[in-house]
Amino acid sequence: MSGRTGPSAVVVGAGIAGLTAATGLAARGYRVTVLEARDRVGGRTHGIEAAPGAWVDAGAAYLGDRHTELLALMAELGLKTTPTTMLGASRFALDPDPSADPGRAATRDGRFPPLNAVALGDLFEQLAELTAAVHPEAPWLTPDAERLDALTAADWAEQQLRHPDARLFFPLFLGEMTAADPADVSVLHLAFYLRSGGGLRYLNAFAGGAQQDRIAGGAHQVCERLAERLGPRVRLGEPVRAVHQDADAVTVHTAHGSHRADVAVLALPPLLADAIDFRPGLPVPRAGDRTARGCAVKVHLVYPEPVWRDHGLSGWSVNARGPLLSTVDDSPAEGRIGVLTGFVTGAEAHRFAALTARQQRAAASEQAAQLFPMLPEPIDCHVTDWLNDPYSKGCYAALLGPGDWSRLGPTLTTPHGRVHWAGTETSTAYFGLMEGAIRSAHRVVAEVLARG
Amino acid sequence: MSTDLTTTATPEALVAVFRRVLEREDVTADSDFFELGGDSLVATRVLSAVARDHGVELTFEEFLQATTPAGLAQRITATG
Repeated sequence: MSGRTGPSAVVVGAGIAGLTAATGLAARGYRVTVLEARDRVGGRTHGIEAAPGAWVDAGAAYLGDRHTELLALMAELGLKTTPTTMLGASRFALDPDPSADPGRAATRDGRFPPLNAVALGDLFEQLAELTAAVHPEAPWLTPDAERLDALTAADWAEQQLRHPDARLFFPLFLGEMTAADPADVSVLHLAFYLRSGGGLRYLNAFAGGAQQDRIAGGAHQVCERLAERLGPRVRLGEPVRAVHQDADAVTVHTAHGSHRADVAVLALPPLLADAIDFRPGLPVPRAGDRTARGCAVKVHLVYPEPVWRDHGLSGWSVNARGPLLSTVDDSPAEGRIGVLTGFVTGAEAHRFAALTARQQRAAASEQAAQLFPMLPEPIDCHVTDWLNDPYSKGCYAALLGPGDWSRLGPTLTTPHGRVHWAGTETSTAYFGLMEGAIRSAHRVVAEVLARG
Repeated sequence: MSTDLTTTATPEALVAVFRRVLEREDVTADSDFFELGGDSLVATRVLSAVARDHGVELTFEEFLQATTPAGLAQRITATG
């Protein structure tokens, strides 16, 4: 394939990882073809125009100052950051069963949740200890990895957490950080994820942390601008079915045709990669029996104005009951509308996704009105179900369950002949984030160039 | 058990706690927790450490009135 016209590469997946890798390879003289199953680029980034010229992020949204590769790519593409708005008091609705005691059902305002501070601190001290102990580049080599990999986060909570407030808060924290139900992830994965994202404090924080900024105008523009530069090399509506290799080349088969190249870069979540027919077959699959979909449904409630701000509230809330386990003010800087984003995660995401659109809107707006009684009826409601999206199979990222890291970790980035792996789940730094996707693309470009 | 705990907290001991949980070295006895980038999650870790090291369980509200290592040490000693 690398005859007169130089080497060639087929990239599967037009998310941030795939398009960054394609751009890098094209810059080094590769003839690239990007195959994307959807009729849009962006992968787990997607923009919704909530009002004329005012975009909100239906998928990945946030970044912080440690996300250096994303910031560099944004600068190259002429994109800017906009700070997340977190002025004012938070709202907490943490009574798991308010009907049992209506007096406690009221929401609370403030900086701190109305829970036992020492009990929560004990929980976070334990998580910090696990996080510090994990091997950041090779979690399966962590001391005591076998035990930590066998245990789910739910098992761990059952064994370690005595105080009811810690037991209440742990799944909410886990849902917010990873979109996981505690039964879905191993403790090793939880510790790895926290470490990979910069530690407990950084990953959790807005100001000074991983949620400090958004991309002005929407995160979807990263992929749109990359795709614009690649032009007709990006082919939409081409779901990949098979990847076959012979002595001379790799052939990527889609529903509409075949693409032969020197190398293929698969920039897909692991559960999607495993649905492809590989010949020869993969010696180790990309996902395990217990690898689960990230359980996230994102809801955007649109109001004429962000009225909560007039009441000294930030729009941020943490809730023991669903569907919206947390809310945040995602009002675009452009225009006047107020956008309250609700995160439906873990087991709640499964329940919520099964409702009709009408039921979803009713449930979300009703809960928002309980949290923020000053709210009028929303003028619009957008629900993005990543959990059941056939071309993402979950969001924020794949959830590694018991045994997964031990089995899958050692071959996470090992090429399969001419097939190389990218995607945020192949980056041990900032796993699950846009930053991880870009870092995986840079690694894969270096790998391909090193083939010689 | 209580003989292992000391309710006489020194500012230096609290400086060490702040440095550990805030992951920064530039903490002095008079540094303010929130100005150093502390938030509610990190605050709970300070209060957990105080309970463990000094046997004093403080609430969020009590912490808000003593957000420097020196102030917190004084508060612990007064409470204990």
